[in-house]
Amino acid sequence: MEKEKDDRVIGLVVNGRLYEIRIEPRMTLLEVLRDRLELTGTKSSCGVGSCGACTVLIDGKPVSACLTLAITVEGKNILTIEGLVKGTSLNPIQKAFIEHGAIQCGFCTPGMVMSAKALLDRNPRPTVSEIKEALEGNLCRCTGYIKIIDAVLAAAEEMKTAGDR
Amino acid sequence: MFKPFHYVEPKTLEEAIQVLSELGTKAKVLAGGTDLLVMMKRKVIYPEYIVCIKNIRELNYIKFDEESGFKIGALSTHSEIADSSIIRSKFDLLATACKKVGTPQIRNMGTIGGNICQAGPSQDTIPSLLALNAKLKLVGSGGERVIPIDRFFIAPFETVLEGKELLTEIQIPTPPLQSGGCYKWITKKSMVDETLVGVAVYIVADSFAEICGEIRIGLSSVAPTPFRARKAEEYLRGKKIDLLLLEQVAKVVSEETKPRSLADYRRKMTGVLLKRAVEESWEKIHRTVR
Repeated sequence: MEKEKDDRVIGLVVNGRLYEIRIEPRMTLLEVLRDRLELTGTKSSCGVGSCGACTVLIDGKPVSACLTLAITVEGKNILTIEGLVKGTSLNPIQKAFIEHGAIQCGFCTPGMVMSAKALLDRNPRPTVSEIKEALEGNLCRCTGYIKIIDAVLAAAEEMKTAGDR
Repeated sequence: MFKPFHYVEPKTLEEAIQVLSELGTKAKVLAGGTDLLVMMKRKVIYPEYIVCIKNIRELNYIKFDEESGFKIGALSTHSEIADSSIIRSKFDLLATACKKVGTPQIRNMGTIGGNICQAGPSQDTIPSLLALNAKLKLVGSGGERVIPIDRFFIAPFETVLEGKELLTEIQIPTPPLQSGGCYKWITKKSMVDETLVGVAVYIVADSFAEICGEIRIGLSSVAPTPFRARKAEEYLRGKKIDLLLLEQVAKVVSEETKPRSLADYRRKMTGVLLKRAVEESWEKIHRTVR
C-alpha cells in the first residue's frame, strides 16, 4: 500500500454543500470549519472534548470537532449551526433558545443547539431527564441550564405541533 | 495546531496489519481519537505516523449467539454498546460502563478497543470486562492470539500489545442462567467525571439462587492497572451472601487495593461500592429467577 503524501485535497460535505479543500492531516475539523471554511459558529473552547462548545453533527450524531481530524470525515454528512438556518428562518430550536432566555454570552449556544437537534431528531418527545442526559456534554457558565432545558422542551412542543423538523 | 505527522488510512484489517508491521513503534493507531488526540494536545506524545483505522467497517460489530457468546468488534463505539438492546439485556453492566464514559460526543466517537488499549488505571469499560471474563483477540503479521483481559495490562498506559499488533475483537462468553452483575463507581471532580473508584461485579448463583457460585470482581482506579480482586472473590465464593459477610469482604477488598492518591478514601470506598455491587447483582439474579 502506498504511503499517503502529507497534504492533500479532500471533499468535506458541510451543511449539504461539498467543499474541496487542500488540508494537512494534522488539521482538526474545528480548525477547518472555522479557519478555512469561515464557519465560525462552531466554537473553540477547551480543546479536549470536555465542554461541548465545538459540537457538530456527523451523520446525525453529536461529536466534538476539536478531537476530530478533518481528513477522517471526508464524505460524511457534517452539520454545523450554520446549517440549521433555512434562508432567513431560524430553526425552532434556535427560536426557542431566544424566546426562553436560554442565551447569555452565547458561547455555548451553538453546541447546545446542535446537541438538542440531535436529541429531537431521534426523540421528538424527550423528558427533562432525557434532555439533561443529551446535553450533559455541553457546559454553560452563564445560565444555570434551567432556561436551556425549558427551551428544548418548548422547541419539542413547537416541532410536534408544526410537524416540522 | 498539532505538529505535522504522516497519515496513513488503511481500508481493511489486512492492510492495517501490513502497515503496522512496517512502521512498528513509529506509528500510533487512531480509532475514535478521544484519547490519542488529547495526549497529542497535551504534548505527551508526538507521533511520527498516525495509522487511522476509524473507517474499517469490518471491525465495527456486535454479534451474539447462545453458543459462542458475544463478539464485539474493537471499533464499536461506546454509544453503540450502551444503546445495544442485546447487550443491555444480557450484560447491562457493560452498557452502564460504556454510558458512563466521557460525554455523549465522546461516546459517539470513542471505541471500546481504544478504551482498553489506552490502558489507564481508571478506564471505565475495563472493570466490567474483567468481571465478565472477557478475552481479547490480538492480530499481527505473525498471526492472531486470544488472551484473557486480565493478562493485557502491564503498567499504567502499557499493555502486552506489541507495536505491530491490533486489538480487533472482545469476546465474552454467554451469560449462564442465574447470573447477574453491575458496575458501581464514584468520580473525581473533573469536567468529564473521571472515575475515582470503579467496581464491577459478576455473580453466577447456584441453582437455588441462594449461594454465590462463581464471582468475579473487577476494580479500576485503585491500583496502577485495573485488576481482579481475587482475594475478595475467594472470600465470597461458595457462600451465602449476608450483611456480615459483606462487611467482612469489604475489608478484604480494601486491603487488596494499592491506591496512590486519596488512598484511605479510595480503600474505604472500594469496600462500600463492592457491598452495593454485590447486593445489586444478587437482586438482579433473584428478579430473573422469579
